[in-house]
Amino acid sequence: MRIDHPRAASPLPIKRVAFVLLAASILSALLYQSLHAGDDLYLTASVFATRFLGIFVEAVPFLLLGSLTSGLIETFVKTDDILRFLPRSRLGAALGGTLLGLVFPVCECGVVPVTRRLFRKGLPLSMGVAFLLAAPFMNPIVFASTYIAFGFGGVLIGRALLTVLVAVIVATVIGSFADPREVLKPTSAKAGEDCSHHHPPGGPGLRAKLFSAMQIGGDDFFEMGRFLILGSGLAALLQTFVPQDSLLALGSGPVMSVLFMQILAFLLSVCSTVDSFLALAFVNTFSTGAIISFLSFGPMVDIKSTLMFTGVFRRKIVLYLVLLPFVLNLLAGVLINVALGY
Amino acid sequence: MSAEHHHHSQIDQAAWAKSLILFGLGIYFAVLILTGNLANYINLRFAWLAYVGTALFFLLGLVNFYACLNPRRAHSHHQISWDNLLVVAFPLLLALLIPSRSLGVEAVSGGIGLSPVGVERASALTRNPLDRNILDWLRAFHRAPTPAAFNGQSVDVSGFVYREPSMGEDEFMVSRFTMSCCVADAYPIGMPVRSSAAGEFAPGAWVRVRGEVLADLFQGEFAPIVHADAIALIEEPAQPYLYP
Repeated sequence: MRIDHPRAASPLPIKRVAFVLLAASILSALLYQSLHAGDDLYLTASVFATRFLGIFVEAVPFLLLGSLTSGLIETFVKTDDILRFLPRSRLGAALGGTLLGLVFPVCECGVVPVTRRLFRKGLPLSMGVAFLLAAPFMNPIVFASTYIAFGFGGVLIGRALLTVLVAVIVATVIGSFADPREVLKPTSAKAGEDCSHHHPPGGPGLRAKLFSAMQIGGDDFFEMGRFLILGSGLAALLQTFVPQDSLLALGSGPVMSVLFMQILAFLLSVCSTVDSFLALAFVNTFSTGAIISFLSFGPMVDIKSTLMFTGVFRRKIVLYLVLLPFVLNLLAGVLINVALGY
Repeated sequence: MSAEHHHHSQIDQAAWAKSLILFGLGIYFAVLILTGNLANYINLRFAWLAYVGTALFFLLGLVNFYACLNPRRAHSHHQISWDNLLVVAFPLLLALLIPSRSLGVEAVSGGIGLSPVGVERASALTRNPLDRNILDWLRAFHRAPTPAAFNGQSVDVSGFVYREPSMGEDEFMVSRFTMSCCVADAYPIGMPVRSSAAGEFAPGAWVRVRGEVLADLFQGEFAPIVHADAIALIEEPAQPYLYP
């Protein structure tokens, strides 16, 4: 068996540093809180544990589904198949990427391993980025949950239009980098050879293929799961130590309400399949533009997906992937508010 | 040859650890479902997610376990590093070290909301006053034409005791966290309670409060205040959160 994975050869110190930092910040935050408020350290730890495990329990089934999808793509989709159907232009690829979610129904936790796998299968950058940003909304499950929460109307249509618009713009910008190696980490770039090359010609049977798909899915779960866990930990820390009311007080007016809801979407890191129900809780408090921006921005970027991005993209690109959707959604949300006369 | 052998045995150990963690997480999810502790973490409307999670963890665990027993069938292209394994095992460690609890009074930071969350359902208004929970009461109160609309109605609600330094000796708030999907969006709401016995109940204790509602100013805004006839200590309910 070949061991050709670069990560095994050079363990990345960044991950270890991040882990140590997270552990240290949890400890120091707990200590600070216990000294500061005279609170029982144990109770604070228990609040953190409940918040962390809540996010984890809700998100991890979706990551498992995404990892399995990634394994199935690896074993059943040939690189040539993908390359044959590709649109030629960058804009066409980006538009196509936004629709790819209908083929691979994944939420924001599942989309990252699938995107990484598709990149390794040779998917062009702009298409992959558009898929990454749009798929968490552009899939039947999230259509359904948004419809159940808001019915067919302005919020559902606004969410869909804004998601596609932002995904296409960001994908076109990042797609303009000529060399994918500037954008992707070595582990995500197109592999020189396919998985199938390790097997004797003729290919293994269906059972063996399913077996290996599940093994690859398991590996993906571990590789992506650590980012999900680090991100859930950060989100839980913030929720444990930053009072909600101090945030709510900031969020009024056509601009600030949008800004606030986007920051909230980033911090809460709620899965896109259920975020409509969460947004429903804010309908009476916040402007329509803020709700639509929340629903468009949240599935694209949040704490845990940002950490997962760092497993696929180079750091400069992760910055683009966070800031561009943030600014574009903010602009759109404010414009909607102005148009509606807030 | 010996170097290669060494490398392989390391891979084996990591592969065993992987199976162990996958099974561990599967068992953790199953325990959450069986004990009902799942209700501490997510809205039970999404309980099916935990069933999916349990099934997939066991499936992946079995596949990995089988691959460990039959190394020749293994298709692993790379080794998962030990720090990676440790990070993924972190939720298990946390679940083992810290007993499962719902969000209670310790999790309240920045006060209790007096406004209802979520869409207001007309059912909150028409429902029998004694069947209204805290969320129903706040919704009904905010839809009412005047604050006095519910004066004199009987109330029977349960929640945990929350107290602020600014509150009087005879006051506390009977509170619940509302939750749309999971604890990530949990938000505390409550109704003020006035009773000469209020001081006997410690913050965080779960109580059932019965009495009569009278609208009055509370911390600067109108609120449905419970003038309690009876306050009783109760066990924490199986569903600690209210679902908007």
